[in-house]
This record gives sequence, C-alpha cells and structure tokens, in this order.
Amino acid sequence: MSKHNWKIGVGLASMLLGMLLVFQFRTETNIKTYLPQFTTASELGIKWNRMQTDLNKKEEELKQLRQQLQEYNRDEEMKSLRMAAGVTPLRGPGVEITLTDVQRPLKSYEDPNLFIVHYDQLELLVNELWAAGAEAIAVNGVRLVVQTGFSCAGTTILVGTRKLAPPYVIRAIGDAATLKAALTIPGGFIDSQIRPFELGIKIEIKDSLYLPPYKGSSVFNYAEVVPEEPVETTVADGEGEAEAVDAVESWEGTGEGEVF
Amino acid sequence: MLLIPLLGIALGAAIGLLLPWEVPLTYKSYTALAILATVDAIFGGMRAELEGNFIFSKFIVSFFANALLAVGLAFFGYSIGIDIYLGAVVAFSIRIFNNLSLIREFLIIRYRQRGSEQ
Repeated sequence: MSKHNWKIGVGLASMLLGMLLVFQFRTETNIKTYLPQFTTASELGIKWNRMQTDLNKKEEELKQLRQQLQEYNRDEEMKSLRMAAGVTPLRGPGVEITLTDVQRPLKSYEDPNLFIVHYDQLELLVNELWAAGAEAIAVNGVRLVVQTGFSCAGTTILVGTRKLAPPYVIRAIGDAATLKAALTIPGGFIDSQIRPFELGIKIEIKDSLYLPPYKGSSVFNYAEVVPEEPVETTVADGEGEAEAVDAVESWEGTGEGEVF
Repeated sequence: MLLIPLLGIALGAAIGLLLPWEVPLTYKSYTALAILATVDAIFGGMRAELEGNFIFSKFIVSFFANALLAVGLAFFGYSIGIDIYLGAVVAFSIRIFNNLSLIREFLIIRYRQRGSEQ
C-alpha cells in the first residue's frame, strides 16, 4: 500500500489542479466577455483618467446647478411674471391722463363725429406710453394686458371686453417726465391727435398711482406650451432682437411699480 | 510516472466542467496562488517518490501549509497595499523549477541505468 501512497497524493493534487484550472479559466473567460475592449492596465488607466475628467466636469456642473438652485428664488420669479402678466395690483409713480370729448357746443356745420375720442386715438395714446417705457397701464380702471385690444362700439370704446365711456382716465406707471414728454413732444400725440379735434386732455404727474389687476379670464383652449423652436424673425436692422432683449431686461431691472 | 498527474488533471478538469462553480473575481489571484501551490505539490511529490522518501502525511501537510501560507501572505499584502503574493509566486516557481530539474535528472539516470543493464 505504501508503494501507491504517492499515486494517491499526487493524483488528488492533480485533480484539484485540474478543477482549479477550470474554475480559473471560466472566470478569466467571463472577465474577457464582460470587458472585451479593455485588455491592458494602461488602457484601463487611460479610460479611468478620461472618466475622472468627465466626473470632475460633471461635479463642476452639479455645483453650478446647485448654486443656481440656491440663487433661484421662486417667489421672486413668480412675482415678476405676475407683474408682467398684469394679474397683480400695482402702485408706483407715473402719469394720469384724462381724455375728454370736446367741451364747447358744436356749430351746426361741424361733424360731431370728429370731436369725440375714438378708439384709435386711445390706442395711439397707449402705444405712445408703452413706447415711452410705461410699465403698466390701466384705462378707466381696466388693466391692459397682452390680450387687450381696442375697438369701436358705437358711442363707447371697447377695451378688451369692457365698454368704456368718456372721460377716459389713463393711468400709466413709469418715469413720469419721460411719459409726459413722449406725449407733448412737438408733432407728437397731442399735436396730431388732440389739438385738431379740440379734445380735452389733462396730464398729471402722480407720485403714487394705483393700478388694479386684470380681471378677465385667461383660458387657453387651443394653445399649449411647447419647447422653444427656432423661428425666423424678420427685423428691420440687425440690432432689433438685441434691443428687444435689452428692453425686457431693463423692464425687469427698473421695477418702479410695486406689488402690494 | 507522468501518467498519474496527467490522468488526475484530466479527471479533475472533467469534474470541474461538470460543476457550475467559478472563482469570484475578488479571489482570482488567490486561486492563481493555489494553482501554483498544487503544481508545486505535484512535482514535489513526484520528486520525493523518485528519491524514495515519499510520506503521504508529510505531502498533505506541506501542501496545505504552503497553500495557506501563500494565500495568507497574499491577503496580508492586499491589506497593506504591497504585492507580497509576488514573493509567493516567485518562491513556488523556483521550487517548481528545482523539482522539475531533479525529476529530469532522476529520469535520465534511470533511463541510462536501464540502458546499461540491457
């Protein structure tokens, strides 16, 4: 028996060796199937470096986003959007313009139609005020928002959906001096639209004007919000768009009207 | 003489192929050491047999002691960040080559003796 001892020992060890080799080979094959593209340590190193750089970039990005998130003030943005939409009452300095029809009795040959305030005159006045930097405008207590239009309705003027009758009181928040100057400039609104028809106009500079909020409905049945798409914009000069952006920014910046 | 280890390896490989196991990735280098230890044990056992002083218990004990020491060294090396297992690999390799050369000598001597006897 002792003669065959070595056969048992070596045979057992050899069997163990065979099994271990098979297991090891299996693992090695699996590794190569899972990671076929990286075979050497240097390639892995390069890959690791690249990933590290990526990670650093992403972390930087994350930091910036966190910073933005921290700086992002929901209430502030909400407030400015509400101000822009005209759904909040505002108070601020500005001008109060009162437009009245002709005061004197008309002569028999004069067409009374010429001597009353028309919707287009009101619209021109409002346009002039917007152009002069008015931040918010209300006509007879009707706040003007993006969907507000002016139209003629017999002896009254339709502003949005409200019928207004003279006298028309237009309140505009903004730099009062600029707003007044925009109207009284020679050859401007007053010279071309008020004087020829002998209409009454009164421009008062007010330190504190109250503007009511827009009271109409804003229901969107057909429009839906989509991501921004590139749209060809036709502008008169190359700086048109840039100016528009500036205007928006300055509107946000001045903020003379106060929400309360 | 060489038939026994070859048969053993074949049988072991067959059993291994039938079994579904594989080495976990973490223990890959430990099994490499175990393989080296078994190869060393096989050649050591053959050499001892040729020298005529093969003792079964000594064979088994030295095999397990060597394997455990190697794996322990490797583990220790991993935990302190030094590749000590390389030392075990080198030691086993040297032993394997020594044993191989001795086995070769024995086999050559035996062959010559047989030739001269005839």
